[in-house]
Amino acid sequence: MWLPILGLAAGLALGLLVSVQVPLTYVKYSAIAILAAVDTLLGGMRAQVAGRFDLRVFLSGFIVNTLFAALLTALGDLLGLDIYLGAVVAFSIRIFNNIGFIRRDLIGLIWRARPIEAGET
Amino acid sequence: MRVHPWQVLLCAVAVAVGFGLVVQVRTERSIETSLQVPSGRLGEVAYRYRQAEREDAVLRDQLASLRQDIADEELRAAAGRQATAALGPELARMRALAGLTPVSGPGVRVTITDSNRPLRPGEDPNLVLIHYSDVHAVVATLFAAGAEAVAVNQDRIAGTTGISCVGTTILCNARRLAPPYQIDAIGDPAGLRAAVNARGGILNELRAFDFPVTVELEREIRLPAYTGTFVHQFARPVDKGG
Repeated sequence: MWLPILGLAAGLALGLLVSVQVPLTYVKYSAIAILAAVDTLLGGMRAQVAGRFDLRVFLSGFIVNTLFAALLTALGDLLGLDIYLGAVVAFSIRIFNNIGFIRRDLIGLIWRARPIEAGET
Repeated sequence: MRVHPWQVLLCAVAVAVGFGLVVQVRTERSIETSLQVPSGRLGEVAYRYRQAEREDAVLRDQLASLRQDIADEELRAAAGRQATAALGPELARMRALAGLTPVSGPGVRVTITDSNRPLRPGEDPNLVLIHYSDVHAVVATLFAAGAEAVAVNQDRIAGTTGISCVGTTILCNARRLAPPYQIDAIGDPAGLRAAVNARGGILNELRAFDFPVTVELEREIRLPAYTGTFVHQFARPVDKGG
């Protein structure tokens, strides 16, 4: 469970140490792709906490979500539509949902001895 | 604690996500600090930039052509400068001749005024009044005797000056004159005086009719410039060849 968080921290540190920049042309697309990646990562963590993690689903979701988010944004640019707004909204909602589930599952794991009533918060 | 292979893979993905996140944030921040706009508006910035470049190219072209114009004009001005330098004194002389400059010099001052002799009953009042023809005769005599500049009551006589009358008023340069009529002329003083005082001349005649007439020699007379306009609506210069 702690390995992914460790990996995330390592990735953050690596990004800070290595000075790489996204080419200006792709900044818009990479931003959306990273939002999708964060969402997928959180989804994976949630599945892991829930005990139903599937590596294939996770990896395929990671790749496909990331790519499609970027492609959708590019399509929106071609059409002159702000399609990326849709991706932003969708992924943001999912991220919030995932965080909520992870939080509740974690609470359930830690205080298993004292079960809490089901429900929000 | 057992480490599953899929946990390692998940860790690798997490590393990738963390790395990408930081790179993205740093790129965004560098864009915002250097361009002062969020990355979402980069397209707009690029568009503005291209537009500015296009305007820049147009302005450069204009600058080049204006520089060329300046160079051409300078060449032309250099060529025209000698001609202008030659024209300057000529122009000044012409203006002086036309009466457009104040002039001073030696000359005579002729003063004539209406007679103060009382009229006898039934006598024509015209006999005691100075007429425009008298003023004109004095001016004409002075010019004929070589006067270079003449003014009547400080009104300069130019080439188009007419002396006329409307009713009892004498007009010179379309301005009304009032007695006494003081006619200043610049020229050889002795010659001018001899001309106006000539036997049978205009002053001789006026004196005969008891008009007060004085002729003074002046060492220095100052005549004003002609202040009227020159209107040439019908007269056109004729080319020597034509």
